[in-house]
Parts: sequence; structure tokens; C-alpha cells
Amino acid sequence: MSKNNELVDDLVAKLKRRQLVGSSTVAQATLKLLIVVISKNNWTTCNQLVTLVKSVGRRLVQANPTELAVGNIIRRVLHVIREEFREAESIASHMDQNETHSAPLTTSSSMYNLLGETGSTPAEKNVQYPSSLRSNIIQEIREIKDELENIYENIKNQASLQIHSNEIIMTVGRSKTVEEFLKMAAVKRKFQVLVAESAPSYSGQEMALELSKAGIETTVIPDSAVFAVMSRVNKVILGTHAVLANGGLVAISGTHMMAAAAKHHSIPVVVCTGLYKLSPLYPYDEDSFNVTFNPDSVLGFEEGDLIEKVTVTNPYYDYVSPDFVNLFITNQGGHPPSYLYRLIVENYDPNDHTFDL
Amino acid sequence: MAENFDVVTTYKSLLLNSPELSMPVAAIQSLVELIKHSKATTMSEFMLSIKDASQQLKSSVRNSISLSAENSQDVADFEIWKKTLIIRGQSFVEKADACRYKIADLGVPFIKDGSVVLIHAHSRVVSLLLQKAAENHKRFKVFVTESSQTQGGIRSAKVLRAAGIPTTIILDAAVGYVIDKVDMVLVGLINQIGSYQMAIVAKAANKPFYAVAESYKFVRLFPLNQYDLPTYNADTLSFQELNVDQSSLTKEDGTIPAVSTSSTGSAPSQTALHMKTSEDRASQGSNPLVDYTPPSYITLLFTDLGVLTPSGVSDELIKLYL
Repeated sequence: MSKNNELVDDLVAKLKRRQLVGSSTVAQATLKLLIVVISKNNWTTCNQLVTLVKSVGRRLVQANPTELAVGNIIRRVLHVIREEFREAESIASHMDQNETHSAPLTTSSSMYNLLGETGSTPAEKNVQYPSSLRSNIIQEIREIKDELENIYENIKNQASLQIHSNEIIMTVGRSKTVEEFLKMAAVKRKFQVLVAESAPSYSGQEMALELSKAGIETTVIPDSAVFAVMSRVNKVILGTHAVLANGGLVAISGTHMMAAAAKHHSIPVVVCTGLYKLSPLYPYDEDSFNVTFNPDSVLGFEEGDLIEKVTVTNPYYDYVSPDFVNLFITNQGGHPPSYLYRLIVENYDPNDHTFDL
Repeated sequence: MAENFDVVTTYKSLLLNSPELSMPVAAIQSLVELIKHSKATTMSEFMLSIKDASQQLKSSVRNSISLSAENSQDVADFEIWKKTLIIRGQSFVEKADACRYKIADLGVPFIKDGSVVLIHAHSRVVSLLLQKAAENHKRFKVFVTESSQTQGGIRSAKVLRAAGIPTTIILDAAVGYVIDKVDMVLVGLINQIGSYQMAIVAKAANKPFYAVAESYKFVRLFPLNQYDLPTYNADTLSFQELNVDQSSLTKEDGTIPAVSTSSTGSAPSQTALHMKTSEDRASQGSNPLVDYTPPSYITLLFTDLGVLTPSGVSDELIKLYL
């Protein structure tokens, strides 16, 4: 059990109460907590540490399952831990001069290898890990933290490659990533942005305000006009709440409609996202990662007569299937949706896709 | 050498005795039997007998590929090596079963409550997946194509009904008719004949098309069209002639798996057609047992390596054969 229960409880409560929302904030808070947990607790083996992180992780994920970034960060940390232990083990076995076979900690590859394996692999070896292991792991996790902090830098640097002069760009909702991206592009280029107002949260209006403050020619359009003006748009640039393993998006409601309109007009759809939003989970069904919000903004209590007679729902997210997206701009460059599986393999360990211990 | 040991008979008896067994696994198992019986003392003699047997089995190139991977071993401790090979072959056979269960576990969350699933012919792993979903108290309905060549659909329906899943058998030609009622398409062997047209219909109707396959069924092939499958390999992937003598027709008892990998007679394709006259046969021409479904039609693959996108499979393949 973790020694830092109060800290974990605190974050769990904040996630549950939705005091902490938004992928970026949530990701950073999770990482900060994990650094404390890993440095303040006693552990000697890989299994111990993985179990510790997973037990904390599971509580955080259960606190708000729709904040997929929490799970992603935990998986990233677990991946780092496994890598570091693997490295330490291979060094240790090298020193012992019995480098015949260093057992990989994960044996998830295919059955083919069964026939080609050179011997049985012991599950847990008695390796003396170097004392630097702990600091190495913390160091690696701090690198993830740096990556999170510099995520906008890396994404917005690609802006001038994607946006050309005199283009008309369309977007929906308010995304910090897209905002930074467009502002960066505006430094070099002159272009026009159409923002769907994104009712009922009207976050699109806030977005438009921010963009116009940065000197970008911005027009707010009602959500219902998206299809009508799509024909004159050059590019749709979207933010997202999460990216799923198949390249599907969980993004603010209205995104699906905009992506479908863009597809109808063969307008390229570009999604700006940090890699921490990339989840190894699959969309089992469209509603699995959705939340419904307070419907007050759709139909308020002042409409008392009507409210008795109708059901009002206010789903916050849309699921957008991967065939609507042409390109993902991540902090590691541009990738088509079909390449995302590769990024998942590189960033997460297949054993960590679910937090079953 | 294995003069007194017939691989093909072993293979067939294995399949007959346990219809639960999948063909590549049976092939491996019979090869293991062969190794046990083999009196070879040198590497090349051994490899020769294995290759010979694989040729006889004509099951697939895969087996010999993975076996030839062993070639780099030291000849000196040949006897020991032979023993380890036997053990490993056996563990392969055991794991094959386990991986089917793993796939079923992975696939269950995709079956939504109240959904309708369309499946094709008979596949052990698909049946297992659906059975597991039913065990997890998912309520769903299944449409299964009759699959007239092998009557696999009827077998599937039996299995699924036994598990308490409401199952309707439909004609192969009725896939387009039912597709609007269906929420997802689930196929086992991606190359069982009819999969391709099912995938096209599913795509046209915007329904997800999931393929379920054990990773040992991955093959390093890059077919460019339907007729590009390796026909040299075996009858598995070629057009089956319908000129089959009556005796093999009567022998049919449904225990022969969907796609026969054996090289000799008893191809299961003919039962349903019941060709009476030779003219009928001639006019029928030839009927393939397998077709090729291009990756663009496949939404996701459920494998023992996890849920993969079609592009993810190529990555795993590269890993396997590197």
C-alpha cells in the first residue's frame, strides 16, 4: 500500500468532483503524484514497483474514467519503469558474465517464438540492481514531465508547414493546442479562421475571442452553419480530448458533424494533439467514453412548462471514427491515423493496457 | 528417417479425434510425432525428413519456416536438441488452446448488450468468443451464414444455440438482406470463401467488420488480388475441382474443418452441391474454398497479441520473421 494515501485521496477526490478537468491539467497532476509515490515508497523489484503504480493508477482511473489522459500517463510511467529495470537487469547479467539469455520482463510476442526460443525464461531473477536505478527512473519520469510542459512548443512549431497564406481554416470548441497552433501560424502567415460557436458550452466563442486578440481574422458561425460554409474552407483543424487506439477521437460534441461535413467536401481534417492524449483503449461503443453534462444550458428551468414534457440531454463529447481524420499533428510530428498503433507500441507496454493486477 | 511413420495419417486421425483442434496446430502436433519417431542422426537428414513431411502435409509454409529457424543450432548436441524441440512443439500445441481463450477475452467487450452479430460459417475462436460473451450475461442475437460448401454455419448454430444464444441461419446470398439489422460482423478465418463479399457488404452498410485470428495464422504473403494466393502450396488455396468420386462424398461427416489443409481427396466443398450428373459438374466449373479480403475492409483484428489494426498486423509479421 502506498505511503502517500492522503495525496492519492486528494487527487481522486478532485477527479471525482471534476475540480480537475482537461487532459493537460489532469496529466500533469497525475505525473506529479506518481513522482512522489515512486520516490517516497520502498520497493526493490520491478513487480513491486509496477504493482504499486498500478494500484494507485487504478484508483485514479476509476475516479474519472472519461479522463483518459490519467491512464495514459500511468502507462507511460509503467513503461519507463519496465524499460529501466530491463536495462539494469541486462547490465547486471552482463557483469555476471552469464549473458546467455537475459529474460525479457514481458513475453507478449507471438507463438512462433515458442518454437525458436532458446530456453525457458525465469520469471523473476535475483539480480542486484544498481543503486542508481531509483534516480534513473525518477529522471526518466521527469523527462516525461518536461515533454508535457513543452508539448505546445513542439506542436506549434509545425504550424507554418500546415497553414498557408490566405487559407480559410475551420475549427470547433476551445482547445489550447489548436489555439497555440493557430497563433504560431499567425506570426508568419495571414489567414482567416471560422470558429463554430460550439453550443451549449459556447467554448467556440471564447476561442474566437482569444484568436482575434492575437490579431487573427476570426469569424464565429453558428454550429448549424458548419456544412453551409464548409465548401469554402481549406482545412479543418481540430483539438481533441483523447485519441483512441484505432485513431478515433473523443472530442467536444459538434466535432463529428464538422468532420463529416469536411469529408463530404473532401476538405482535409487535421487533429492537433499531444501524445499523452493517445490511449491504447478501443472504442467498444460510441458512448463508452462520453459524459452527459447539466442540461440547464440546453433547456433552462425558466422553460418550466416545457421541461416537464421533454427529456433533455447534453452529451459533452463526440466519438469521431478514424476515417474522418487525415492527419494527426503530435509533439513527435505528423502521423496518419493508421500509424497510431506504432506510437502505442513505442510508448506503452502491452501488459499495461488494462490495470488488472 | 520416418519410413514407417505416415505424417498425413497422423494428422488426419488427430483432426478426426478432436474436432476442437485447429489445423495448423494439428500439423505441428503431427510434426512433433514425426520428430519423436525420427531416427535421423544428422541435421541435414533431420531437416530433410521434416521438409518432406511438411511437403506431404502441404499444410502451410509456416511450419517449415519456424522449424528451419532452428537450423542454427549446434549439431553436436543433436539428441538433446531434438528433445527440446519435441517439448517446445508440445508447448506450442498447448499454448494454441490458451491463446484462443485470450482472444475470446479480448473480444468480449466489443459485443454490446442487445446487439446483433453476423458471423460466417464455423470458426472455433468466434464460437468461443460468443460463448464467453453469453457467459458474461451479454444479451445478443447471432445471424450465421449457412456457408453451403462446408455447412459450417449449421455447426456454428448448433454450438451457439447450445450456449443459449438465439441464432438464425441465413443463406449465403442473404448477407445483404440482413446487414441492416446487424451491428457488427465477426469472422474467424479471414480467408474462408464468402468473407470478402461479406466485408464489402459490411463496408457499404458502414458496419464494423472484425476478424478474429490466432497469431500463428499470420502468413507473410502479399496477395495483390484474389488469384494471387499461393496456389502452388496446396489445394488449400487453389480452386477445387468438383470431380470427386461418390465415396468421398459419403464419407463427409462434418468433422472436417472449414478449410481443409490436407492435400488428399475428401475436400469438404462438395457436399452441399450434390452434383448428380457429370454435365452438372462440368457446368459448375471449379469452386474456390478461400478468398482474399483486402485490409481496407477490416476494421480491427482480434488476435492473441491484442486488438490490432490491419496495419498493426504487418508490424507483428515483421517482428515474427526478422
